Amino acid sequence: MRIVVLVKQVPDMERVKFDCEAGRVDRSSAGTEINPFDLNALEAAVSIQEQLGGKIITLSMGPAAAEDALKDTIARGADESVLLSDRRFGGADVKATAKTIAAAIKKLGGADLIFAGIQTVDGDTGQVGPETAGYLDIPHISNVDFISAYSETDITVVSNVMEGSYVKKSSYPVLITVTKDINQPRLPSMKRKLSARKAHIPVWGYEELQDYIREDEIGLQGSATKVKRIEVPPAVTRKGQVWRENVEEAIDGLVEVLKKAKVLEV
Amino acid sequence: MKENIKAKLTEIVGQDWVVSNPEIIKTLCSDEAEIKITPCYDCIAAKPATAAEVAAIVKLANEEGIAVIARGGATGLVNAVVPIQPTIIISMERFKKIIEVDESNLTVECEAGVTLLDLVEYFNSHPTLYFAAHPGDEGAQVGGMIATNAGGVRTIKYGVVRDQVKSMEVVLPTGEIINMGGKFIKDNCGYDLKDLIIGSEGTLGIITKAVLALQPKEKYTGSVLIAFNTTADAVACVPDILKRGIKPLAVEYVERIQATNAATDIGQVWPVSKGSDDLYLIIASNSEDEFYEICETIVEICDAHNAVETLICETAKEQRNILEIRSHVYPSMLKKLVDCLDMAVPPDKIPAYMEQIRALSQKYGVEIQTCAHIGDGNMHNNIMTPDGQRPDCYEDLLDEIIQLCMSCNGTLTGEHGVGKLRNRHMKLQFTEKELELMRAIKKIFDPNNILNPGTAIC
Amino acid sequence: MKMTEKDCKGILVFAEQKKERIHRVSYELLGKGKELAAQLDCPLCSVVLGPPDMDVAELIYRGADIVYHITDPMAFAAPDEVLYEQNLVRLIRDVKPEICLFGATNFGRSLAPRVAAKLGAGLTADCTHLAIDQGQLVQIRPAFSENILAHIQSTAYPQMATVRYKEFNEAPRDTNRKGQIKAMEAYVSDNSPVKILEEIVKEDFDIADANVVVAAGAGVKAKEDLKMLQELAELLGGKLGASRAAVEAGLIAKDHQVGYSGNRVKPSIYIACGISGAPQHIAGMKESGIIIAINSDPSAPILNIADYAIVGNLYEIIPKMIRKLKNMKS
Repeated sequence: MRIVVLVKQVPDMERVKFDCEAGRVDRSSAGTEINPFDLNALEAAVSIQEQLGGKIITLSMGPAAAEDALKDTIARGADESVLLSDRRFGGADVKATAKTIAAAIKKLGGADLIFAGIQTVDGDTGQVGPETAGYLDIPHISNVDFISAYSETDITVVSNVMEGSYVKKSSYPVLITVTKDINQPRLPSMKRKLSARKAHIPVWGYEELQDYIREDEIGLQGSATKVKRIEVPPAVTRKGQVWRENVEEAIDGLVEVLKKAKVLEV
Repeated sequence: MKENIKAKLTEIVGQDWVVSNPEIIKTLCSDEAEIKITPCYDCIAAKPATAAEVAAIVKLANEEGIAVIARGGATGLVNAVVPIQPTIIISMERFKKIIEVDESNLTVECEAGVTLLDLVEYFNSHPTLYFAAHPGDEGAQVGGMIATNAGGVRTIKYGVVRDQVKSMEVVLPTGEIINMGGKFIKDNCGYDLKDLIIGSEGTLGIITKAVLALQPKEKYTGSVLIAFNTTADAVACVPDILKRGIKPLAVEYVERIQATNAATDIGQVWPVSKGSDDLYLIIASNSEDEFYEICETIVEICDAHNAVETLICETAKEQRNILEIRSHVYPSMLKKLVDCLDMAVPPDKIPAYMEQIRALSQKYGVEIQTCAHIGDGNMHNNIMTPDGQRPDCYEDLLDEIIQLCMSCNGTLTGEHGVGKLRNRHMKLQFTEKELELMRAIKKIFDPNNILNPGTAIC
Repeated sequence: MKMTEKDCKGILVFAEQKKERIHRVSYELLGKGKELAAQLDCPLCSVVLGPPDMDVAELIYRGADIVYHITDPMAFAAPDEVLYEQNLVRLIRDVKPEICLFGATNFGRSLAPRVAAKLGAGLTADCTHLAIDQGQLVQIRPAFSENILAHIQSTAYPQMATVRYKEFNEAPRDTNRKGQIKAMEAYVSDNSPVKILEEIVKEDFDIADANVVVAAGAGVKAKEDLKMLQELAELLGGKLGASRAAVEAGLIAKDHQVGYSGNRVKPSIYIACGISGAPQHIAGMKESGIIIAINSDPSAPILNIADYAIVGNLYEIIPKMIRKLKNMKS
């Protein structure tokens, strides 16, 4: 049983600032941490490994500093980690990112199960997981908040799509994206944390992946979208409209607000 | 309540800001104390926005001979803001402004109604500075935290609220507005009126504005949870940690049952499962290596004291979860709680004190669950019964606990204050001469006994 | 085969259906798609996967010029991303649209990336605006916790985006509108490695996922008064929330409580009824889209953070609002 968990190091979203003039995120303004949903993905992997054995490999693409996030995954139960880091990977959009990750998973020799968080808190697209499955040509099940059963050959989960909850069963390999409701990630033990700090995290650049991906498929060059410009919308201020005497007028006003907000169509 | 008072208050603060609706008044007559005294509902509330308006109300009260209570977040636990006679309640909620952050002197100037949560959120997005104390419920207001000299979880490194107040603007009980203190460290000029008003529980003045100390943010913070099989092991660990020169932001002790109940109550999970008694430390450092060195030392000390599990949380969310569960211990007990005591004892007396508390619990057959700001010796022994009803032996039990506390050279209340709840026990801690001095001070500040009568002294 | 600008023409809107009911976001996409199609002078097409006897003319009424109806009696009854993807990719390769739009529903967000991967296309998630600039689609999406708006363009074809629900107006319904329905049997209907065993009904109450919250405070006097708030909530597709005071008064269960410690919510609309606005409460709801407060106390702090406030008696206002909303609906 080989389980790969996709993780991303993200800025602490409560603290991070946006540099309006440079039009980019000022990542130095905040500490970093593992994308919270990825901890749920890792916990799902660890709890399956506890029953079935096998190996958990965490995989992240990012700058060299993302090594810290991977060390943290080792403290939390991963057996091995690989960091995909190369200047040439820079500027990757969802497509180039998913393709690079897919290439790395192929180089690892594939996986039975791949877990990913439903989305990252910084990018927020929720696309890398399903697109990676697409590039690996394996099925995926998204928005999973419950694992009903699993064995050496297949897994049954509850997937929340189409305004319903569907019990889906898939043979391996399959990629699963999980929500925060699937489990409560355990805290790492201090001893594991202290020893994980000393772990060696292998770094793969383009050279290591070149049998699986072309150079024009990575980074900016391999991207199929580009950000034309960034707009900083004005801060939202509360309208502060107060009605006092005339209830009828107030109700008319509120109904208008509700209509505009499209909540009357249910 | 006399009609003319409503009219005069309306003149001072405007019609919208006077509350006389009895149903709303009712909601302004309590705090979070579990032991409820009977409030006097014959009250009127005003919501001024400036110190001048507060002063005008206080002057009016002196003219009319009516009591005044300044009400902050009302998160206190000793009925300090509960009126016991016809009273003008001054709600400070409109004093909401964070006025200035002074990065050179490491201070923030804010109005009295700014809440702890406002400060926390404001400094969350500040790049380098923060308000290091966490004195209580997030809804607590700056004025109230100063008036009660609140303590809370994070006192080990930076002290209690008294240690955070650089200066403040106060409306005296006679209606004058004065400023005291300043952005300096040393000040030996005359009696320290500021320190007298801090912790006076709204009896010597109404705080309208304050300058509070800030601390540079440490780059690395983490929370450590350590589980033990016995209270004695957990408690004995603490002096050994502090002795090594480790100054965590917080060192908390919590009985497992309290932690798990609090967590369940807010839909969380307390992350530790082994053992029965937990220590919870918040560690902060500017260097990653030093941070982990501290962690290693703590593991070593705790192992020597038979720790059964040691967990670390470093992400903002995980750390917030733990603090939230810890903050929720009090509300989660309420259904069973009879009295939440607040003794503080010298750290070296903690093991003996805890042992005696257990003995008293057995002697009276009454459950006493304990959580404690153990790093500073502030113990919350919670007297509990299955239905929260006071047991017949309550007074005897309480007397014995107080005597125990006195025999340990402790104090009746470490952080909650006296309010209108602990007055009658003050005689056990103070001589008549000391109490006389306190009364005399009150008389000098407040000759007509207008401000929060019946509170803080006896 | 890579698609290029030259061979791609037209806009294709994916219409999501469940039990043959089309998701309303699809009509919103047709509404927006119509505008974009006019600017590009191209046809607006829609694709729906469903049983052969499904009535798909609605998509014509809502503005589609051509509806591709991929049919199978069973295959599309459940949300199987693999089957959907295989059929859509075949269609898109045949039709070669320049723009493909999906609703950013849970299913759309799961399906679109698979399709994009198979086509080698770019994909922009969760757009809130779409525009045309020099013949190219500009995809505008909030990023970074809504702090910024990124303007994104695709460099590969088709240009693909998922679009948030309730951002655009639904296309008006015109039953006289004519269009072409092209029904075709599914290219693939049964080789998915994923088996969908059943749809289960969950009854977990989670106030945090409500789009509209109608919340009760100390101003609500009795348990049965909650019925009118519940009715208002239902009319708005929302859920019932509560302040700590209401929970402690025993009016309602704790899982409805909104506050700093409790449930922090971020609905599009928050209607605070008889809630004074203690700091703990405000901390749990201040990030709501639009805050409406109904309170008889003009000094209640909640009024300071509300977008719209009525100072008045909720026992008069709520029933009147309910009556008015009901009249509008019937």
